[in-house]
Amino acid sequence: MKKIIVVISMMLVLPVTLIGCATTSELEKVQAEQKLIDAKAEQALQDAQAAKASADAAKLSAENAEKAAAERERIADEKAQRADAAFQKSMKK
Amino acid sequence: MQSVKGKLWPFQGHPEEEIERNNFSVARGDDVIGRLAVIRLEEGDTLPDIARHFGLGINAISAANPGVDVWVPKAGERIMLPLSFTMPDAPRKGIVINLATMRLFRFKGDARSPVVSTYPVGVGAEDRPTPTGQTRVVRKATRPVWHVPASIAERHRKKGDILPAYVPPGPENPLGEYALYLGKSGYLIHGTNKPASIGLNATNGCMRLYPENIKMLYKDTPVDTPVIIINQPYLIGQRDGLLYMEAHKPMEGPATGELERIHAKLRSIEKQSARTLDWKKVREVQAEARGIPVPIFEMRQGSAKEASAPIDVEHPDALYGKPELPELKLDAWYVVAADLPDKIDAQRIAAIINHQGPQIPARVLSRDKGYRVIAGPFNDVGEAKDAAKRLKIDLDIDGILVEPVEKG
Repeated sequence: MKKIIVVISMMLVLPVTLIGCATTSELEKVQAEQKLIDAKAEQALQDAQAAKASADAAKLSAENAEKAAAERERIADEKAQRADAAFQKSMKK
Repeated sequence: MQSVKGKLWPFQGHPEEEIERNNFSVARGDDVIGRLAVIRLEEGDTLPDIARHFGLGINAISAANPGVDVWVPKAGERIMLPLSFTMPDAPRKGIVINLATMRLFRFKGDARSPVVSTYPVGVGAEDRPTPTGQTRVVRKATRPVWHVPASIAERHRKKGDILPAYVPPGPENPLGEYALYLGKSGYLIHGTNKPASIGLNATNGCMRLYPENIKMLYKDTPVDTPVIIINQPYLIGQRDGLLYMEAHKPMEGPATGELERIHAKLRSIEKQSARTLDWKKVREVQAEARGIPVPIFEMRQGSAKEASAPIDVEHPDALYGKPELPELKLDAWYVVAADLPDKIDAQRIAAIINHQGPQIPARVLSRDKGYRVIAGPFNDVGEAKDAAKRLKIDLDIDGILVEPVEKG
């Protein structure tokens, strides 16, 4: 009777154990896939952000090209004026 | 294609020796002397160097060429040499100095054949203006000693520069080699050790000339010569039947009184001629203030000669007084004056350092990223430290000493 009980128990435990092993492996696989997808998503997001930033910058650049040129000219003039002022000061006794 | 001494364009201009800079005979009834000229700039030119070579001040060449970079002008650019001058409204005897135009006139010859010599000058700074009025030359001296005025000593002391009580003749002496002492005590007409300051409001009230010009003036001027100092930014004068107007930027804000004086004269001329003056042109000349005599009116209709066009001048092989750069040496000391990303900024700083008085040699070295302004070579650490000190005091540049690469 004991033998019968042991055999029946083994018949029940073994499949359960086998079923458990299959679930862990699948979980790891899923997790790995999720990571890959997440990385891909992150990359896509970054690409999208970069594209938007680039578009924004291009838009801004186009809008401000004239302003920027004027600003560069102003800065160059200021630099020249500052240098000239320093020179004129240095020419005093 | 004809090329002259390595120049890339065909020679078309007048030889520069033909250009009169200082000495002019004055035709009866004429108030305008000289002739405008045009020169094509070459690589490495600066406006102060061109100005000195042609007997002009930095103020005159800058005003005549608005928008041209004083220190790093473009090679190939054609600039105006304002070598035509309207004589000021003052008695034509002795020395007349017009502060507004920063120009000195020395009248010689007799009434029948008057001759005038004219030189650019540096005059008093805004806070120490040269006083106007009449005086005379009371004393002359060659190789004068400079007794340092208390105000200048104090200004230098505040910057950490202790000046001696007096400076003997030599490169450090700001009076240069010749001095004319005026009746107004403490005021002199003298040379300079800072030639690039001619045409600037940079003195303590004295009037300084280029070394080569003070030498000529000193020789031409006896003791007791009368001196008149005036301030006339707006000038009118005749030449060959044409009325010219020359306007300069007033030294201290709008010179309303002077403008009214000139306008009254113009109205009087208009009334006498019974013709209308081109007042729009007058206002244009006045607003532009380029320091060039501009024809504005024909005195007798149909009788005036046409105003002379500016003449093209050949670029000289060497510019008189241009600071020379000694060759780099591995056994010398140097001072790094600046590291800059922009080439023109670096060239400008180097040019300004080169035009200090006495000269501090400086050049631009190209690097992977940017440009380095380096002063030197200096023979020893003492010379290098002196240069670094002057860079700090005069230009507020924090120089870094560089030891020799090779020990000499």
